[in-house]
Amino acid sequence: MPAILTEQLVKHYSAEIKAVNGIDLSIDEGEIFAFLGQNGSGKTTTVRMLTTLLRPTSGRAEVDGLDVIRQGSTIRRRIGVALQEAALDDMQTGRELLTLQARLYGVAGNGVRERADELLKVVDLEEAADRLVKTYSGGMKRRLDLAAALVHRPKIVFLDEPTTGLDPISREGIWRYVEVLNKDMGVTFFLTTQYLEEADRLAHRVCIIDAGQIVAEGSPEELKSSIGTDVVTVRVGGGAEGPERAEQALRGLEGAEEIRLVGDSVVIYIRDGSAAIPRIVLMMNEASVPMAEVTLARPTLDDVFLQKTGHHLEVGAQAAEPGQEARG
Amino acid sequence: MINSARLTYFLTVRAAWEVIRQPAFEIQNIFIPIFFLAVTVGAIGQVSGAAFGVDNYVGFQLPVAILQGVAGASSASGLGMVMDIDRGYFDKLLLTPAPRLSLVLGRLFSDGLKVMVLTLIIIIVGLIFGSGMESGPLGVVALVLLAGMFGLAYAGIGMSIALKTGNPQASQVGFLVFFPLLFLSPAFAPTDVFAPWLEFLAAINPVTYILEGMRSLVLVGWDYEALAYAVIAILGLGAFTMTLTVLALRGRTR
Repeated sequence: MPAILTEQLVKHYSAEIKAVNGIDLSIDEGEIFAFLGQNGSGKTTTVRMLTTLLRPTSGRAEVDGLDVIRQGSTIRRRIGVALQEAALDDMQTGRELLTLQARLYGVAGNGVRERADELLKVVDLEEAADRLVKTYSGGMKRRLDLAAALVHRPKIVFLDEPTTGLDPISREGIWRYVEVLNKDMGVTFFLTTQYLEEADRLAHRVCIIDAGQIVAEGSPEELKSSIGTDVVTVRVGGGAEGPERAEQALRGLEGAEEIRLVGDSVVIYIRDGSAAIPRIVLMMNEASVPMAEVTLARPTLDDVFLQKTGHHLEVGAQAAEPGQEARG
Repeated sequence: MINSARLTYFLTVRAAWEVIRQPAFEIQNIFIPIFFLAVTVGAIGQVSGAAFGVDNYVGFQLPVAILQGVAGASSASGLGMVMDIDRGYFDKLLLTPAPRLSLVLGRLFSDGLKVMVLTLIIIIVGLIFGSGMESGPLGVVALVLLAGMFGLAYAGIGMSIALKTGNPQASQVGFLVFFPLLFLSPAFAPTDVFAPWLEFLAAINPVTYILEGMRSLVLVGWDYEALAYAVIAILGLGAFTMTLTVLALRGRTR
């Protein structure tokens, strides 16, 4: 039985706002599954339907074999959820928040205090446990939110953009907890992200969502291999017309499987990219188009994203520098 | 049922700590009614006996001050809920298996407790000003309980608007609604001296009965008929606001 299953899941907020348009998913137990997409692509709406916060317009969804519409209350006992932007009560201490959360999930008696202490240790918040949440940094709030999602030992955990706005050190910390929980306790994770690195590093399987539809699915390696070519990126000078002239000049490039104009660059998908570079330089010279930079790379998830959606993954909130956490 | 009551208790404690940790928010709910009490008594107290036969105008005004304070404090219930909704914490609570109604009742009961403390403070000030209490110490307890019940019922207005709109400004409407209700009641003079149209409006205004029930404890003693009318008015108001709250909660969690 899959941990999460959806069949033609749809959510339309209105005739104009069609957030999710027929998603089919099957996620195995013990899997870390990443939903990769831009803001507004339908990631959060999908999470809210799967976690019973939002009723689907049509289609079917099951979590741990239970129907999200008819068996919402039972599902809520079995899942843990950390929503976007650490949804916490600033006027409680970290310990109080975990204790209340444990009680609401039915953890009884002494078990409440023990579980709160255990989780505070896991997420490295023991020293800050009795401080009000409003005094926590963004990274600490995220860790506390993750702990709150785990308080009742759920089998399946949903993390909605768990590291957006965090500095690299805090992000690394969150990733480490997810990996440990998955490996040691077999917890299934469904995470949404707009960070390619996060999907690449954590996920066993990645699903790219664009405009409410799944456009690609597979392990990070499978997705990257699916491109089957090297990626040569030529950043073009010569003013506003430069990139278009470069694209025209390179149209006849032998072996090129696809050429795309992206901003001030031309992206060429081609086998044996290193051998192709001298020819590319020659063709650009012949067309008198100045080049600012030429790079050769193995395909990344961004290349997969570009190929499948026609645009780069534009991250709304870039990760902050250390000590400059953007927000919780 | 026992589990629901237990979870409601935990959520009440959580909401109560929120108040205790931000006491500054409650200062206006104490200051404004006491200020109005002092000013009104200062302006009218000297002539109230001759004008409409009320010699103890401090006692006459004390329940008005209590209702003002309670309405102000319980209106904040909606604001607290809006803040929970806005920062996503209400969604986090909705994701737990706790009964949905407990999530709302926890905050409402906390407001009931808060207004009882506030009422006690206003009564002490009133006693210092010389209001007296014809029903004795038990009357103080009854007055505090009536205020708590009214606060609980009145908080439902702001709560339902908060759940329906999630808008902080809209959730404050509860307090604005209270002023016309107060001015259309015998807040400043007995209904005997009202013009007929105002007397009619006062007669269909639930605040009139709550005010007169409270006032009877201060000025008369144990007038069970007045108290019964006050309790019925509060229960009626409570039934109305709780219905609105439950409907708004259903709308938000659908």
